[in-house]
Amino acid sequence: MLAAVTTIPYPSWLNTGDNTWQLTSATFVGLMSLPALAVLYGGLVQRKWVINTMLMIFSGFSAVLVVWMLWGYNLGFGPAADLFGAQGTGFFANMWGHFHPIVTHFGEQNQAVSGANTLIPFHFPTATLAYFQFVFAAITPLLFCGSILGRMKFKAWIIFVPLWTTFVYTIDAKLLWGGGFFAAKGAVDYSGGYVIHLSAGISGFVAAAIIGPRLLRDRRHGVPNNLLLVAVGAGILWLGWNGFNGGDPYYAGIDAASAVLNTNVATAVGLLTWMLMDWWFTKQKKPTFLGAINGMICGLVGITPSAGWVDGYGAILVGLICSAVVWVAWNYLSKLRPFSKVDDALGVIYTHGIAGFLGGLLVGLLADPGMIQYGVSGKNYTAIGNGEGFAVDGYFYGGGMHQLWEQFLAAVWIICWSAFGTAVLLYIVKFLCRGLREPDEVLEIGDLAIHDEEVYPQETFAERVSAMSSGGE
Amino acid sequence: MKLVVAVLKPFKLDDVKEVLKNLGVQGMTLTEAQGFGRQRGHTEVYRGAEYEVDFVPKIRIEVLVDDSQTDEVVDAIISTAATGKIGDGKVWVIPVETVVRVRTGERGADAL
Repeated sequence: MLAAVTTIPYPSWLNTGDNTWQLTSATFVGLMSLPALAVLYGGLVQRKWVINTMLMIFSGFSAVLVVWMLWGYNLGFGPAADLFGAQGTGFFANMWGHFHPIVTHFGEQNQAVSGANTLIPFHFPTATLAYFQFVFAAITPLLFCGSILGRMKFKAWIIFVPLWTTFVYTIDAKLLWGGGFFAAKGAVDYSGGYVIHLSAGISGFVAAAIIGPRLLRDRRHGVPNNLLLVAVGAGILWLGWNGFNGGDPYYAGIDAASAVLNTNVATAVGLLTWMLMDWWFTKQKKPTFLGAINGMICGLVGITPSAGWVDGYGAILVGLICSAVVWVAWNYLSKLRPFSKVDDALGVIYTHGIAGFLGGLLVGLLADPGMIQYGVSGKNYTAIGNGEGFAVDGYFYGGGMHQLWEQFLAAVWIICWSAFGTAVLLYIVKFLCRGLREPDEVLEIGDLAIHDEEVYPQETFAERVSAMSSGGE
Repeated sequence: MKLVVAVLKPFKLDDVKEVLKNLGVQGMTLTEAQGFGRQRGHTEVYRGAEYEVDFVPKIRIEVLVDDSQTDEVVDAIISTAATGKIGDGKVWVIPVETVVRVRTGERGADAL
């Protein structure tokens, strides 16, 4: 007879609740790209650009994952590379991680370690953390894809995305999240208001300026082709954000729960704010669906840098301020240079760039030291209970101006590096691909000229001329 | 009175509309159409299978004009819509027996 043995199919450091939530929230964030951004952007463009838009999203997601497995993850979150012989807390010491893949059995299955300021070891394997960080890395270029729709050479896009992830994203992530310079100085970014949204807004704007505008006809006739699919994409984006902000504490605990609740209330307020401003202040005096969706995104992006560090009052204020300010920028700033001169197709600079920038600064004003994040330590470490907690002190909660200043410095870095990196990489890609734009005669036709597919093919007109090579039918 | 019908490349619509407005044309009817002439169609590929689509997207414009204005309108459409490449389209003119404005019952040239 066998002795009664109690074995568990995982090592003692693994916590099933944490691992489950981390993989679940990662999947939620993945859904924000596929299909949410594909159908949101696909629904917002003209009928002739839907295929191109969706393929940019799906192929970009794939390209980032391959890069992430082979070198991206460790560049952003691996051990410090100590560039140029710098050591310790110097800028270059921890600006980049080491160049190393995570494709081995050890690389995937060992306990996750990150350069971040972790107090308690992670309760899940590297595969979990790497996938969670991947879906963030992937959505960033896919967000700024919205700025450059309807003109970019497809080949240029598919070369540009891996380069951008390698040279822009991983450095920003390391400096703010991977224990790098700005993290060490005390700047905080809960889930990527800076690393993802500010960076996406700036990169998209710079890319739109360099690649040039859509055809004049496309700009004049840029009406959306399917608002139902916009609703589907926007809805998945909102609820997907529960993983975006709820997954970032890395433990399935109370800070994850409060981050989820704060995220949702900020988003609700952001949506209502934009809708009411459209209703009261536009010439038409009408509440609009696409306006409400813009406000929703402003709330989501605005709360991202602070989700677990503000209380409910703070979250409501974040949604209100970000949505209202971006509404004003969308309606008035857009008429001024350089905004009036750059064809940012879906306005990513406003709803992601400006909202992310504002949200990051608001951490310095509205962070409530009573909102504790467990399991990490930081420059602004506040001992809570037995000393296992971390909280951020905003100005209005007696924290002084220090945090606001650190937030500002980090934002300046993100703006400069994203703009510079995007510009340099685009000029390299321009050289490699002999141009960044499709020729005008291709732009006039769109999907059919680039992919031989159209989004609503009509069987009446199509006649089959060759069988599938596999002979399967 | 004449009915001028033009089948043109879709992206020429804005220019043609402007020119006709400037000529004082009071209205036009627009239909999205599919058609082919000497211009070849295109191929679409779905899951490895190739489909020949002879018909390409066109716009069909119809304008009612007074006899005296017919040549002017036809010439304006042709000179605006021409790119010199195959597939620019066609314009034809049909005599019209009568025209009635529904709201007022006016007939003939008054109804244009």
